[in-house]
Amino acid sequence: MMPFADPLFGMPSWLDAIVRVVLIVLAMTLVVMYLTYGERKVVARFQQRLGPTETGPGGLIQAFADALKLVLKEDIRPTNADRWVFELAPYATFIPVFMVLMALPFAEDWGVRNLGLGLFYVFAILGLNIVGIMMAGLGSGNKYALLGGVRAAAQMISYEIPLVISLLCVAMITSADTGNEIGTLNLNVIAALQEDRPYVLLQPLAFIIFFTAMLSELHRAPFDIPVAESEIVGGYFVEYSGIRWSMFQLSEYASMWGFSVFGSVVFLGGWAFPFGTDAHWSLQLATTMVKSLAFIVTIFWVRTTVPRLRIDQLMSFCWKVLLPMSIVQLLMNGIILAYDWPQELLTLTSGAGAAVLVLIIVKRAIRRPSKDLMGTYKTLGAPAQ
Amino acid sequence: MSNETATAYPGVAALVHKHLGKIPFTASKHSTDAVIHVAPEHFLELVQGLKERRELAFDFLRNVTGIDMTEEGLRAVYHFYSFKHRHSIQVDVNTPPGNPHVPSITSLYAAADWHEREAAEMVGLVFDGHPNLKNLLLDEDVRIHPLLKAHPLQKAELFQGIEDTSAGFKF
Amino acid sequence: MTVWPEERTASIDSFNTVDMTINVGPQPPATHGVFRMVLPVDGEVVVDCEPYIGYLHRGLEKLTENHDYRQSMGWWDRTDYLAGMCCEQAYCMAVEKLGNIEVPERAEYIRVMMAELSRILSHFMFFGAFGADVGSFGTSFIYAWRERERIYDFFEEVAGDRMFPTYLRPGGVQMDLPEGWERRVNEILGHIEQGLEDFDGLLVGNEIFVERCRGLAPISKEQAIDWGLSGPMIRATGLAHDIRRAEPYSVYDRMKFNIPTGKNGDVFDRFMVRMAEAYQSTKIVRQCMEQMPKGGLVLNPDLPKTLRIDDGECYVRTEGTKGEYGVYALAKGGNKPYRMKLRSPSFCNLSALKQMVVGHYVADAIIILGSLDIVLGEVDK
Repeated sequence: MMPFADPLFGMPSWLDAIVRVVLIVLAMTLVVMYLTYGERKVVARFQQRLGPTETGPGGLIQAFADALKLVLKEDIRPTNADRWVFELAPYATFIPVFMVLMALPFAEDWGVRNLGLGLFYVFAILGLNIVGIMMAGLGSGNKYALLGGVRAAAQMISYEIPLVISLLCVAMITSADTGNEIGTLNLNVIAALQEDRPYVLLQPLAFIIFFTAMLSELHRAPFDIPVAESEIVGGYFVEYSGIRWSMFQLSEYASMWGFSVFGSVVFLGGWAFPFGTDAHWSLQLATTMVKSLAFIVTIFWVRTTVPRLRIDQLMSFCWKVLLPMSIVQLLMNGIILAYDWPQELLTLTSGAGAAVLVLIIVKRAIRRPSKDLMGTYKTLGAPAQ
Repeated sequence: MSNETATAYPGVAALVHKHLGKIPFTASKHSTDAVIHVAPEHFLELVQGLKERRELAFDFLRNVTGIDMTEEGLRAVYHFYSFKHRHSIQVDVNTPPGNPHVPSITSLYAAADWHEREAAEMVGLVFDGHPNLKNLLLDEDVRIHPLLKAHPLQKAELFQGIEDTSAGFKF
Repeated sequence: MTVWPEERTASIDSFNTVDMTINVGPQPPATHGVFRMVLPVDGEVVVDCEPYIGYLHRGLEKLTENHDYRQSMGWWDRTDYLAGMCCEQAYCMAVEKLGNIEVPERAEYIRVMMAELSRILSHFMFFGAFGADVGSFGTSFIYAWRERERIYDFFEEVAGDRMFPTYLRPGGVQMDLPEGWERRVNEILGHIEQGLEDFDGLLVGNEIFVERCRGLAPISKEQAIDWGLSGPMIRATGLAHDIRRAEPYSVYDRMKFNIPTGKNGDVFDRFMVRMAEAYQSTKIVRQCMEQMPKGGLVLNPDLPKTLRIDDGECYVRTEGTKGEYGVYALAKGGNKPYRMKLRSPSFCNLSALKQMVVGHYVADAIIILGSLDIVLGEVDK
């Protein structure tokens, strides 16, 4: 077991905790600001635009200008909003996200606290996010917000289940690596165990399920139903303005970053792969960041490409596809681990499962042949006169 | 004789006369369509015939126009088209001055709903039997008919609304 | 999925619920302009729909009655402002019918070419906006604008203005095409074809898009005729009715093109029909370029300074971008029309909205509204 490093500079442990929290808050703010900038840039390139260019070199300080504008804006509370629910909702959304960041290992010794039940803690806390969103939806006194809040609740609670099961699959196979047949929920240890190969190789199916459910938890396309702009004008935060609105944005981007780091720790080997546990801390930190960035860019990429699902399609995808597949993955892992079969079998079975999942989607594509529809516009209609 | 009928009922109007001869109407022709002139009391019967006779089969209502003919009263102009026979016809309904009532054809053509509402608010035609004859393009509480010739062009519409109704904002 | 009102009441009578009324519009991004609809919803399912229009009512017909025939041109390309040239063509044809004015052949070809480029403009706007309705975060919008800009640039070069060119005149067009226009148009058409390819890949090839649109709000031919639908809406039901072919005007009888039709009249078919139409329009533009007389007048030289029309009546119908764009005109002497009425396709298509959205999800109601491809300038006159 690798404990977190001793308190920084020999400080008392409470002071050390405060310093680490401050550091992580600063890092988070900076990352979120540059995520908004990065999203605008990346999405702009996907759409053959330039994105922000004017503020600073290449638009680099655009994020600061945006933040300044948001802070200076008037904070409006609608008269028929439920005052306390309305005003506290941004905090209730933001705090769980922040608490998740507390438990993430960014490098071997870098993190606020190394929790023994880190994995469990993360998904327990993430579930609290819904409370703030529901508060915003109900407290705004706006029907769009209400619809958005209810949609968000239904969606997030549903997708929590495959998400958690896919993480449990990983927790399960750690027992094969720790050697004590118990496994671990410690995120730092999970990362260290992937020194040789990331768990995505052993659990591709779980990884796909995790990524899909993660998109849904983050309200990102194609699952951005609670915040659908063209339908319900932004959803649960439609009535918020100024600093409170930016709290929602902050929590959205912070949770995107949090999820990305979390996903890269659990599935992609975090700081340990490929440079090993002995690498310098800066290299480890860079590894984590690059991996989480890969997640984030993939999220942006998906966002610019695919349209939005409808709520019933979303639900049936969760309950009819993701949930059974994740349970199958869990069962396969259990069987293989119980009989001490070789680990390659994990890869094989999970890979087969992933193939089946992809096949389910593709089969739908074949049944409704979207490939055949392409190009038909050239020949549609009565023959030329 | 045949020559005379041809001039009295040009184009598609002759066909209409052949199949709906019982209904009194006159006919003429302009640069694009044959026109049937019919009195309001026979209008519904005529349209029913136009739609339901297989030889005519005017199944598509193109347009309804309300016109203020000043001293001749208001006129409702209908354009019909038949997808089956690919012919079209115009039906003019002249209402006597002071009595702008025309039977509604919403029961025959669902498309007539908004067309009739528009004609009603624009020139003040009254379509008897229309389910919901409230203003469509103008404000709900305004009782003006802007396309009447008596309605001035260059006058603030707000004042017109106040003059014509008791409801609304007063300076 | 469709939940019909009668099923709904039967299944929930043991559980007391209250419908919620959502007001959509006039500002939200979903309504494509200043359109407002009030949707009573049961959870996510729309149980009724009350559209409100008139926020953009500018008194087009009253203005036309009070202005000279040539002055009114400017009002008319502000009706379907996504395809100004098509509207101008209809208006000019009405005036020409009233006054028996000849149009030089070259001008007719220029008009048709411009109208078809406008149709491409309008349909590209539809692809972009519809993609945004379905939720593809602005990508389709930018793809659409990229190609539209090229056409707008060409319009600016030809007429001096982009959206409202006021290029056509009763009796021809304002001026001849600029030097080197063939090369420019060829360039544009190449880009348009590439743009259609892009949309094909981005939207038609996307499983989610197809899943969302296929089978949504299908309408039968009979319904479409009864509701007064026209244009791509009615062609999506499988009825090959195109005024350019059924009652040819201008030089459309010399053009070879397909009339694209759908099968089910659902949202997806409407999209595909518009895709195919934009493609056919590129063909028509090519034919115009080939057949157009090289040189010659573009405006009837015999026209008086002030156009006075003694007596006349006509109902001119053209295939606008949204459907049958008809102009009923009545002249009783003088330099102004006695009455001019616009039969706007969006107006008629929109009047059927209620029948289409009831029983669908809110998200689908937005898509159905988007698939009507309304332009509020045309709806509200």
